[in-house]
Amino acid sequence: MTDSTGAAPGDAPRGKPARQPSLATRLVAVAAIWSALTLIAAAFVLVELYRTAGERAFDAQLDVYVKSLLSDLVAEGETAAAPTTLEAPRMLGEPRFSLPLSGWYWTIRDAGTDAVTFASPSLVGDPLVLPAPDGEGTQSGFTPGPTGDEVRFMQTVIEVGGEPRIIAVAIATEDFRAEVAGFARQVAITLFVIGLGLVGAVFLQVRVGLRPLGRLRESLSRVRLGEAERIDQDLPLEIAPLAIELNALITSNREIVERARTHVGNLAHGLKTPLSVIANEARAHPGPFADKVGEQAGIMQTQIQHHLDRARMAAQRRVIGVSCVVDPVMERLVRAMSKIYRDKVETLEWSGAQALKFRGEQQDLEEMAGNLLDNACKWSAGTVRVSARALTDEGGRDMAEIRVEDDGPGLSEEECREAVKRGRRLDETVPGTGLGLAIVADLAALYGGRLDLGRSELGGLEARLRIPAL
Amino acid sequence: MRLLVVEDDADLNRQLTTALQEAGYAVDTALDGEEGHFLGDTEPYDAVVLDIGLPKMDGLSVLESWRREGRSMPVLILTARDRWSDKVAGIDAGADDYVAKPFHMEEVLARVRALVRRAAGHASNELTCGPVRLDLRAGRVTLDGHPVKLTSHEYRLLSYLLHHQGKVISRTELTEHLYEQDFDRDSNTVEVFVGRLRKKIGPDMIETIRGLGYRLGAERDG
Repeated sequence: MTDSTGAAPGDAPRGKPARQPSLATRLVAVAAIWSALTLIAAAFVLVELYRTAGERAFDAQLDVYVKSLLSDLVAEGETAAAPTTLEAPRMLGEPRFSLPLSGWYWTIRDAGTDAVTFASPSLVGDPLVLPAPDGEGTQSGFTPGPTGDEVRFMQTVIEVGGEPRIIAVAIATEDFRAEVAGFARQVAITLFVIGLGLVGAVFLQVRVGLRPLGRLRESLSRVRLGEAERIDQDLPLEIAPLAIELNALITSNREIVERARTHVGNLAHGLKTPLSVIANEARAHPGPFADKVGEQAGIMQTQIQHHLDRARMAAQRRVIGVSCVVDPVMERLVRAMSKIYRDKVETLEWSGAQALKFRGEQQDLEEMAGNLLDNACKWSAGTVRVSARALTDEGGRDMAEIRVEDDGPGLSEEECREAVKRGRRLDETVPGTGLGLAIVADLAALYGGRLDLGRSELGGLEARLRIPAL
Repeated sequence: MRLLVVEDDADLNRQLTTALQEAGYAVDTALDGEEGHFLGDTEPYDAVVLDIGLPKMDGLSVLESWRREGRSMPVLILTARDRWSDKVAGIDAGADDYVAKPFHMEEVLARVRALVRRAAGHASNELTCGPVRLDLRAGRVTLDGHPVKLTSHEYRLLSYLLHHQGKVISRTELTEHLYEQDFDRDSNTVEVFVGRLRKKIGPDMIETIRGLGYRLGAERDG
């Protein structure tokens, strides 16, 4: 299975690791090797069976010729036990016994002296050298013929006219060998085709059989992209437990992040109250010592804030598979802002985008939009306009755009650039950490989004926040 | 003006209380959620400063419970949890404003002042009635442009009357809003303070309505 999307982003820097062969390759390779071995063995067995059967047929033919020779040898009307005359056998109805060195031969020898009594014309005087018969009975086998080519022979020792004689017939095996070779070739071709068919079947089987794994991977990737909350557990028996375990892992991952955030919150609470006490005490008792304490308390506060923000950012990145609908979050914020700034902001317009979903944590959306809204309300002269809409960015990604405008003094281009840098505080007279816009820009960047500042048609600042949407 | 401060950190509680008292408020304090809830439920406060992280009963529950029971005094929440989700949760629970820790005392004072003023329906930080002018930010009173020196009780009395000018205010209501909880309440003392205030800002400013109470700025109403 080719895999281009499944690799975790963390793998990228390690370059191309030596990859394990894929499951499909393993399965197909094992099937191919196994079928090849089986089919080769089958081929050998088949050819061997064919050859044995061929030899038996050969021997049956030889036997007929031996018997014909014997009957020809003994004249008609006489018995083998007491023949009056020995006649040279005729042609046995096979012209090839007459053709010189045709490969078809017969001899009749005296068993005692091994002298040739009669021989087929095809031998043209050459001897047909055969192994000596071991006792009575019929014997068959392969041996080189008079031309050096291999022949199959059959010889039988029989008493004719009171003397034991050897009747032998031999036929060249060339044709027989050619026939066996042809058969072997056909068997090889047939079995090779069968082998290909088997491997193809295994390949199909693997493809179809491993399809649920592909589905599992897609499901997991959807979770990672935040399009789904959980992995689809409707999978075959063998991998369903894997999906269940993965879901448990996702849940526990969320819990860990949630716990980390709770700890961060507790730490904040634990440190900020004493810091308040120290700072207030210092301010209540002016003097060089108090000034020093106040100054250091301020530094501590900045440090705590900075590291809390970083902890939140780090926690945020490991969260997978979360999304939230934009409108309700924004509505809550708008409601809260109009309550907090009810003296200052007369009109707080809001237009939503219905089902638009942000691909990330609700808390982070609240943090980004909250800071923008707070900033706008803080600076406005009475009117703040907030809207959300869906759009597709240059890269073709679905994004949500949250636009916050006010009719306050606004920022110059230079200030706009400075404001999204970390830790800048543009105006010390308005309360706030001064990190608001920079935090928004940082958070947006973490999500692959961006924050743009410009001038609104209302006269003040216009903040456009673009974050990934579903 | 009488306030309630609910904060579990004893030092911070003391600092808040002192600063608010110096700004001219009568201040009751509670060190945990249950006590704070009880006080807010039984005493008529003009505003409450409420910490979110409290022992026994957390701040948000206290606030939600007050709102459920129809207690509508303005509430300023103090929170170390400065994420917007926490702030919005506080506002949704019924808070009117929030201050994130660590804070400068001036900020709490400004927010409390705004809440009290807003609850009484005033838009400005200066309350006036005829020749009497009260600058809430500075805590200064002038009569025809001349500064008037007032004790803290006199200041509280004038401030409360100015916040609710034109309305008849009973002696009980005045007592409840001028004194801290553990103060020995004798309604005669209200009469004493009204008498002293009349001497300082003129006898006609505060009208006594027999059997009902007092009214400030009556002559301009009619």
